[in-house]
Amino acid sequence: MSRTRDIRSADSPPAPPASAPDPQRVALLLRPPLLVGAAALGGARVARGIASLFAGTLLRAINRQSERGAVAEQMFNIGNRSLFFVAVTLGFIALVSVFQVCLQLNRVTGDLSKVGLELIKLMVHESAPSLTAMMLATRVGAGIAAEIGSMVVTEQVDALRMSGVDPVSYLILPRFLACLLMTPVLAVFAFGVALGSGTAMAYVAFGVNPSIFVDFSAVTAADVGIGVVKCFCFGAAIPVVSGYCGLTTFGGSEGVGAATTRAVINASLAVLALDLLLTVAGFMLFPPSAA
Amino acid sequence: MTIEFRDLHKSFGAQHVLRGLTMTIERGEVFFIIGTSGVGKSVTIKHLVGLLQPDSGEILVDGKPVHGLAEREYYPLRKRLGMVFQHSTLFDSLTVLDNVALPLRKHQRMRMSAAREAAKERLAVVQMERYADRWPAELSSGMRKRVAIARTLTLEPQYVLFDEPTTGLDPVSARRVDEMIKRLQTLDVTSVVVSHDLTSIFTIADRIAFIYQGQAHIIGTPEQLRAADDPIVQQFISGRSDGPMETPGF
Repeated sequence: MSRTRDIRSADSPPAPPASAPDPQRVALLLRPPLLVGAAALGGARVARGIASLFAGTLLRAINRQSERGAVAEQMFNIGNRSLFFVAVTLGFIALVSVFQVCLQLNRVTGDLSKVGLELIKLMVHESAPSLTAMMLATRVGAGIAAEIGSMVVTEQVDALRMSGVDPVSYLILPRFLACLLMTPVLAVFAFGVALGSGTAMAYVAFGVNPSIFVDFSAVTAADVGIGVVKCFCFGAAIPVVSGYCGLTTFGGSEGVGAATTRAVINASLAVLALDLLLTVAGFMLFPPSAA
Repeated sequence: MTIEFRDLHKSFGAQHVLRGLTMTIERGEVFFIIGTSGVGKSVTIKHLVGLLQPDSGEILVDGKPVHGLAEREYYPLRKRLGMVFQHSTLFDSLTVLDNVALPLRKHQRMRMSAAREAAKERLAVVQMERYADRWPAELSSGMRKRVAIARTLTLEPQYVLFDEPTTGLDPVSARRVDEMIKRLQTLDVTSVVVSHDLTSIFTIADRIAFIYQGQAHIIGTPEQLRAADDPIVQQFISGRSDGPMETPGF
């Protein structure tokens, strides 16, 4: 043992003691868990901020602290100005879906009489609310974050506070109420457009009679109920999530851009997460056999 | 009636901006806060109205602490302390008239019609009544500044905080803003002005605080500042690029 140690020390630098770990190696090993930890803490901070903003907005809604006329203005911005976007998106999705389903069914069974029935059921409790909400998350969410974010970086939000105006009542609440009310309206409109385009596709491309295609017999009260609840939940989540991103904007125009991107991503994720949660809850409350 | 900052500290991340700022502003004076960009001048006055909270230290207005209050507790204070922001900061979605009427509606719970009438009077004071129905985007920077001043004065505050009121204005408009600030003094209004504008500083200031490295490096009258044998102060006044002064980012 002693001889070996002597030879090593003569030919090469002494090796570090076995008990002392290499600091660089330790730092490298610790890096992934530290990154995960930091991301988790950041996520928790954002979730807490959004929950707090949601609670504050709800409290102000109960106390009716919204500016007169502001809700109607936002309803126009969020609702009317989204009509074309929602109609085109849902219309095309229905066209493609019906085409693909009919094409596959034609190859397998050739019976297309149930396509409309299933499409309508799916649209009522799933597609119309969630796809409408996803479209709103992109169009409305980006708009809310950009507008509020610009106000933050140009100190307009500080000026509001100096003028005795509560930014949540003034900026978030009207958008919250407008989105809450307009999401179900847009979803119903989207359902109508999708049904119309789907029916047209089935008739034109596959000769399915519209009186057979438009069949509401599979739609239950539970389907309608789940669809409506989803609309309200998505309508509440989109303005709060994107409003939070706007209010926490930091920096100049670059910060506004980052906030807008964050708003679209977070609002879309919120819609997807809520969709999963509500679908599972709906499935448990109204099992398919009962539905 | 005074404003006191006692050993104020404020950091933004790793950047330690205010490092024990201590100074007193007396009633009725035009008090200038000067210093290089990024030294914490705007940060200092934002602490007064609760737009920022200190990490440590005390801020007293008329002997009462005004730090660490809840947002609603700042509302009465913000009626007495008005602020004119650096870029005027008018609300894009409101007309000039409604911009000026907003503080009256919110702070004084005035009805819309009454607030608009009062706002028209305030706009007349700054010769902007003809532009009452315009949108902020349609105004020049000097006009926007005048509207912002009208909006701030609409509540008849005892203290007015001006954040770089003459920045971006032509020399004539800048001097008119100076005159407006000086006129406020006759109404027993205390003005706290953050500025780089040496003409304003040496024309209308009663006292000046020169902020350097997060502290009040020197406080005195314009004459005292001019006569100071401090090389840092002299470099700032003369605007020389060479000298002992450290400027962040340069």
